[in-house]
Amino acid sequence: MPDALLTPELLRRLEQFQLLATRRAKSSSKGERRSRARGQSVEFADYRTYVHGDDFRYLDWNLYGRLERLFLKLYEEERELPVRIFLDASQSMTFGEPPKFHFARQVAAAIGYVALSGFDRVSVIPFPDVANGLETDQATRTMEMAARGALRSVRGKKSAIQFFRNLGSLTASGAANLNEALRRGALEARQAGVAVVLSDFLDPAGYESGLTALVGRGFQVDLVQILAPDEVSPTTFGDLRLIDSETGGQQEVTFGRYRMKAYQRTVQNFLQRLREFCKSRGINFFSTSSNTDLQELLLKQLRQAEVWG
Amino acid sequence: MHFLAPLAFAFAAAIPVVIAFYLLKRKRVVKLVSSTLLWQKFLAETQASAPFQKLRKNWLLILQILLLTLIVFALARPYFATKAMPAQLRVVILDASASMQATDETPSRFEKARTEALKWVDSLAGNDQMVILQAGANTEVKQSASTQKAALRRALQACVCSDGPTRLVPALKMAESLVRDLDPKTNPEIHLFSDGAVPELNEFENKALPLVFHRVGKDANNLGITALDVRSNPEDGRQRAVYASVANFSTNSQQTDLELLLDDRLLETRPITIHAGETSPQVFLAAQPRDGVFTVHLTVKDDLSVDNQASIVSLLPKPVKVLLVSQGNRLLERALRAAPNVELAATTDLTDPAAGFDFVVLDDVTPTVWPKGNVLAIHVVNTNWFQGATRVEAPAIVDWKSAHPLLRYAGFDNVQVMQSLTARTPTWAATLVEAPQAPLIFAGELGRQRIIWIGFDTLESNWPLRVSYPIFIANAVDWLNPANSRSGQLLVKSGDPFRLALTEPTTSAQVTLPGGTAKPLTLDPNASELVFGDTLKQGTYRLRLGTNETVFCVNLLDMAESNIKPHEAMQLGKYTKVTATTRQRANMELWRTIATLGLLVLLVEWWYYHRRTV
Repeated sequence: MPDALLTPELLRRLEQFQLLATRRAKSSSKGERRSRARGQSVEFADYRTYVHGDDFRYLDWNLYGRLERLFLKLYEEERELPVRIFLDASQSMTFGEPPKFHFARQVAAAIGYVALSGFDRVSVIPFPDVANGLETDQATRTMEMAARGALRSVRGKKSAIQFFRNLGSLTASGAANLNEALRRGALEARQAGVAVVLSDFLDPAGYESGLTALVGRGFQVDLVQILAPDEVSPTTFGDLRLIDSETGGQQEVTFGRYRMKAYQRTVQNFLQRLREFCKSRGINFFSTSSNTDLQELLLKQLRQAEVWG
Repeated sequence: MHFLAPLAFAFAAAIPVVIAFYLLKRKRVVKLVSSTLLWQKFLAETQASAPFQKLRKNWLLILQILLLTLIVFALARPYFATKAMPAQLRVVILDASASMQATDETPSRFEKARTEALKWVDSLAGNDQMVILQAGANTEVKQSASTQKAALRRALQACVCSDGPTRLVPALKMAESLVRDLDPKTNPEIHLFSDGAVPELNEFENKALPLVFHRVGKDANNLGITALDVRSNPEDGRQRAVYASVANFSTNSQQTDLELLLDDRLLETRPITIHAGETSPQVFLAAQPRDGVFTVHLTVKDDLSVDNQASIVSLLPKPVKVLLVSQGNRLLERALRAAPNVELAATTDLTDPAAGFDFVVLDDVTPTVWPKGNVLAIHVVNTNWFQGATRVEAPAIVDWKSAHPLLRYAGFDNVQVMQSLTARTPTWAATLVEAPQAPLIFAGELGRQRIIWIGFDTLESNWPLRVSYPIFIANAVDWLNPANSRSGQLLVKSGDPFRLALTEPTTSAQVTLPGGTAKPLTLDPNASELVFGDTLKQGTYRLRLGTNETVFCVNLLDMAESNIKPHEAMQLGKYTKVTATTRQRANMELWRTIATLGLLVLLVEWWYYHRRTV
């Protein structure tokens, strides 16, 4: 559902961008990204001496004229850039107004569209798995599974509409294990590329090992943390019994306006820790609220951070 | 350490209540959140939910219990028994006279004075003592020296304002006797709460009274009846003349209606205008078919209502039965007959007490049996009356008391006496006419008997030839007439006792007060006189004695009381005066403030604790 996620106007503007990868593409499939592999393109890379069986078409006859030795011209092979989008589809993402999950899907759609426009391969990996947490009927589960399957590998701009549709049909539920999802994603990837993690990072188990695994696998990691406005500045006060949407754990708390600053300090500390972690590992970090203007994030913040350009 | 109010430890029961409040599980609102991760810091404080685990290290609770303990401790009023400083004595005199009923203060001067006095009770230091005196027509000790503030407050609350005049002298005398012998270091004080509408206090001029005058009252808007009398109309014996004096004590000219009522029946309404500070005499003439009560009433609404009405009992005149015991004195006989309404009988000796006569005139005759009734004794000696009569030759009359009712319009100019008996004036009598050596005429009341004693034989003087002689005799007939003295007794000033001679032994009587309340009296069978003292309220009283009913009236009729202008200073004699104090209460005990503050802190702390949740 492209309409539901991104406006045509935004899509048109996104078409101008291309994901900026600091690393060479390592994919085995052809694409439009420079790679270390030698192959067929217009981009000259090097010479090597002719060996028996080489294609005469790539001999440099000018050089032969001067040196009377046969050299073969080598060209850079252009390969595709695999873009893996880790989408947090846990229950906690359903909170906020607008819901964090909707916002995350919009960002995923935008990144995916830019990648597709640049002939890159896009994989959307929602976590947790459907089997783990989905408590809906069989038909919905089947549809969800199908959509998730379709999103595993998408290539080409023509697939964009289907991509949006599948993205739009995703639902969020269950308890996420961010570390496990990222580690598994890192292991499953045949080639490293760009990894975009969209989550609230409110996982009691942490995020460190998962992100470390991604970076270790050679991914260029971009991290977009999405929090609900109510999580930054709560609006409910009094004697509360808080129920964790994912774990179901109950905690009693007494919260009043005078403790708002203390709470916000806690949030800021949490963000700061995450930001420092990302900085130390060369990860692009963005923190945003689900009520932020999407265009502002996509067209300004991500561009300034040279996620795309 | 001891405690003045150990019962206050009962408040310690509040401590378990505070603990119970902490044990109560608070009702919490259930809220689904995305994650409790960010709330971990806030969970820690209230995580413990097991009942007694909650109380562990709960500083808020410990603070509250500590504060509560201190408050309870303060309420118990702890003290150390040390060598006490000399206690200060304060004598509070609360003026309970009629003028204190004035409503220029809200609700009245008396209530204002009482409130002020209560403040002074509050300010009493730990071991200081206070005496409460109520000064109305009589002085009452409402509370003897005490440090107990509750008792002092009760005593002040029990004070009642009367309709009577202020008799401050006995109250001040009593207060003076209380403070006189005290150590001056203790700084005793007499606090008078009054409007200053009091008569002369000359006798305290040189007493150095430690008097502090607390003035109450603001305005002086009052019209009052200050005098009332009823007599036969001299011009028409069938009518009665009611004399009333109405005084205006306000600063403006006042217009009002003056009503005359006979036994609550309106006879006449008269509009009167009285200028500021002036007194207007008013005379009403009214026919009176039988004995009754005349009431004069001012319709004006002023600050003091008690003096706007006065009543008087008017008895129809009866003939005066006079017995003249004389060897022959035509001038005296003629003078007696000239007096109005006299039935005269004459004899040369008296052999019985003359019970059938209103009074007896002994003219130079020593009777065989002395009369029991009133006597006009001329040139006779009765050793029961006085001792040591001597004879003086040609005494010169140097002074006479023209203010006495007997000498009204009767001067002694150009009266010469040839010789006279004379004696020292007895204590029961007052001298009327004086020679340098001794009195020549005195009069007084010995027991219930009125006696006029003339030392000289009138025939041995030129007095019978003077105009003052028949006037004096007429005055004497008036004064000695028991009916007149009785009607005088029927007009009582508020606070004065009502007296009635008992002719036969009686054991019980009943007085109906102006409000209609009947008050039974028990009498001593041997008593010759009934004295009724509960005359604090003005109005008409009815005394039932067997089958007889006696009506008497109680009125204020007091110029000093009606003049309700508050005085800035009280004059003690010519040169001493006590200025109204502006001093406020002092020596406030702090424990109440501290305890209140503690309680307030507790409440604020509680409020703050709860504010966190909103």
